[in-house]
Amino acid sequence: MSEPVQFVSQKVDLDYKVVTSPVARRFAELMRAGRITGHKCPVCGRVYVPPKGFCPLDAVITDESNEVEVRDAGTLTSFTVITPIQYQGQEEKEEYVLANILLDGASGTVGQQRVEGIPHKDVRMGMRVKAVWGGDADEGSRGWGLTGAIKHWEPSGEPDEPREKYQDHVL
Amino acid sequence: MSERVAVIGCGQTHHRKVRDDLSMAGLVREAAERALGDAGMDWTDIDAVVIGKAPDPFEGVMMPEVYLADALGCAGKPIMRVHTAGSVGGSTAVVATHLVSSGVRERVLTIGFEKQSEGDTTWGLGGGRSGSVGAGGYFAPHMRAYIDRSGAPDYIGPAVAVKDRRNALKNPYAHLKLENLTIETVMESPYVWEPVRRLESCPTSDGAAAMVLTNERVAGSRNAAWVHGTAIRSELGQFPGRDPVNPQGGRDCAADVYAQAGITDPFNEVDVAEIYVPFSWYEPMWLENLGFAAEGDGWKLVEKGVTDITGELPVNVSGGVLSSNPIGASGMLRFLEVALQVRGLAGEHQIEGAHTGVGHAYGGASQFFAMWVVRSEKP
Amino acid sequence: MRDVAIVSFAQSTPGLTDVEETETQLLFPVINEALDGIGITRKDIGFTCSASCDYLAGAPFAFVQTLEATGAWPPISESHVEMDGAWALYEAWVRLQHGDVDVALAFSSGICSRADISEVLAIELDPYYLAPLWLDPLSLGRLQAEAVGQEPPTEQPKYTDAAAAVILAAGDRARELVGRPAWISGIDHRTDAHYPGVRDLSKSASARIAGEQAGVDKAPVDVAYVSAQYPHEALILMDALGLKHVFGLATNPLMVSGLIQIGTAADAVIKGDASRSVGHATAGPCLQQNLVAVMES
Repeated sequence: MSEPVQFVSQKVDLDYKVVTSPVARRFAELMRAGRITGHKCPVCGRVYVPPKGFCPLDAVITDESNEVEVRDAGTLTSFTVITPIQYQGQEEKEEYVLANILLDGASGTVGQQRVEGIPHKDVRMGMRVKAVWGGDADEGSRGWGLTGAIKHWEPSGEPDEPREKYQDHVL
Repeated sequence: MSERVAVIGCGQTHHRKVRDDLSMAGLVREAAERALGDAGMDWTDIDAVVIGKAPDPFEGVMMPEVYLADALGCAGKPIMRVHTAGSVGGSTAVVATHLVSSGVRERVLTIGFEKQSEGDTTWGLGGGRSGSVGAGGYFAPHMRAYIDRSGAPDYIGPAVAVKDRRNALKNPYAHLKLENLTIETVMESPYVWEPVRRLESCPTSDGAAAMVLTNERVAGSRNAAWVHGTAIRSELGQFPGRDPVNPQGGRDCAADVYAQAGITDPFNEVDVAEIYVPFSWYEPMWLENLGFAAEGDGWKLVEKGVTDITGELPVNVSGGVLSSNPIGASGMLRFLEVALQVRGLAGEHQIEGAHTGVGHAYGGASQFFAMWVVRSEKP
Repeated sequence: MRDVAIVSFAQSTPGLTDVEETETQLLFPVINEALDGIGITRKDIGFTCSASCDYLAGAPFAFVQTLEATGAWPPISESHVEMDGAWALYEAWVRLQHGDVDVALAFSSGICSRADISEVLAIELDPYYLAPLWLDPLSLGRLQAEAVGQEPPTEQPKYTDAAAAVILAAGDRARELVGRPAWISGIDHRTDAHYPGVRDLSKSASARIAGEQAGVDKAPVDVAYVSAQYPHEALILMDALGLKHVFGLATNPLMVSGLIQIGTAADAVIKGDASRSVGHATAGPCLQQNLVAVMES
């Protein structure tokens, strides 16, 4: 005697082409060459990293003529330690740190950046960090974009920034 | 120019991790039929349906209002689907209110639902890719920033978690029933998104909420909650200088709805509040954002027990999002619970003499806000 | 009811496919054009409603990105529907009835060329009984064509990429903004039952009701733009709306096509090419859900 059917597992599998917009493509290629760039809004002067191709506050288009370079170092403004939740497709197993980092020269943070090279309990707001680049730009073995070209961030050893410097830069 | 809007029926499901006894259609009908019964109405009395839910990948059904039209008795009627991320339950109720206040419709059924057991929420929140950190992973740095700015002691978050779960024990519909939860238990439990622990985080739930909204003529002499204000705000999620800890959008939304309702001193004029707290620290944060406490002081209200069910400003006496979180319904549950309160129908978690209630929902990168004010009396 | 008119309409270049831009980047110039056309800025907008589809974009919460095209700072009064832009227009029209705001923006976007639309649309069907059959738009179109005695289509519609924006204004504000506002004299939307098997597919009952409620037949219609992907759909809609001639869709930019048809119908009035026009949007299998708007000079 079999049981009534209560659940039917129906996996829906859809394929999407992920297209990189021209603005994002240029940013990613420059990252591969070891350079982090943004667009500076001609109206308000905010530097967006990564660039959006427009300033959403002033509703103006930006392009390569507004391109500026920022340092691959900055201040950690906030962070969390992630305990990865296991679900189908999840590849993360170990705890790791994700942080928002205000790069020197940028007006806003790059978010959800991995920080390594320091015990998790010692990570703190205001800490100075620098990028650890992956691969080799000249050999062409470096990945693309913010998560492909930079493996993670690590403490730079500089003195911490005081709260006034980071508290308005959670994002 | 504007019709008065009455909430004459409220209904919700028993929220559970898995409602294995119902399809999605059954889930929305359970809530809707309770709301219709409360309103003393039948499916044929409804002239429009407004339904809201969070992203469709959570269940794997695209634009579910198309499929649910039959279950909701909509053949020949209008049905609309609102989607504003986590605030959707609230904004759906706001859209439904507009349909009545504008005079376009007279009897609107509004529903919010989520059947999260049909998919995987963390997968969904991560866009179907590896490395999803869920909502908590995104918000944890903001909560850390609040703690840093305010100097709040570390047990405040756990205190909120304990309070809401204790309240949930009085709510027959709530999902989590955690007896004997203490601050110590919470503080000793593992982190998921440090500094946020699993026991300080919302569950994922299957559930639905429904309300019947009508104009004054149709409401007649029924026991109704009267809508005194609705407001909705959206804010850019990421730009240099944005503050997600005390977002402008939330402040503006609250100021707008208070002005409509004639509230100038929220702390003293509001009897009961249901605010969207999916992670414990959002209670002190939103108390400040919504003007119930000065900036930096929200945590003190928690510490003093002001937001307890016996306190001066009871917050989330239903158990809140921390106890039941069918995402598409959660915002509407906040609106629904305060409507129940001012109608005197909240049962075991009723606040005596509640005349003015505030419902609040938020979503996205703390960027979408929806609120309403309801009272026992007509505006 | 307050008198509300469409005062401006803009869309991306028709027939685009394989765009490289994001939906937000597509929307940005379109919204700018709609605003510039009547000389206002984002600051003049009192309410905004957007429309898009996460499953079309392939990401939950995809709609959040398009907020950047609105300049939502300081925060704005804004909502979103996961439906064709025509329903965003409807929500904006309802909101303007309240009397406290006079100008609203409704917009939508959709990029179809990054996914197999026949698969994406199949999952809007009942997940228990219909979706497992993977009914694609062509099969559904063939079912309905046969029901109405027409030659079944042999090709799927051409799905394209688009963004569109419409600006609505009430009363005197509309008259200030444009010489010939396209007054919305009636607007309504209805749905039929979902299951094709329980409906008479040769007719569109919901389009008929929506058309009646919107008052299509109250006066002669100069031009009508309906969201028909196939000739048989156009026939069914003509019958439902009591129209002798309609313009259908040359290509189908999902989530935007209805808004484009209504905007185009409004534009005919604004430009003086028509005194009375009809725009129509649809959603769901076999014209299940329909929205009809009537514009007059």
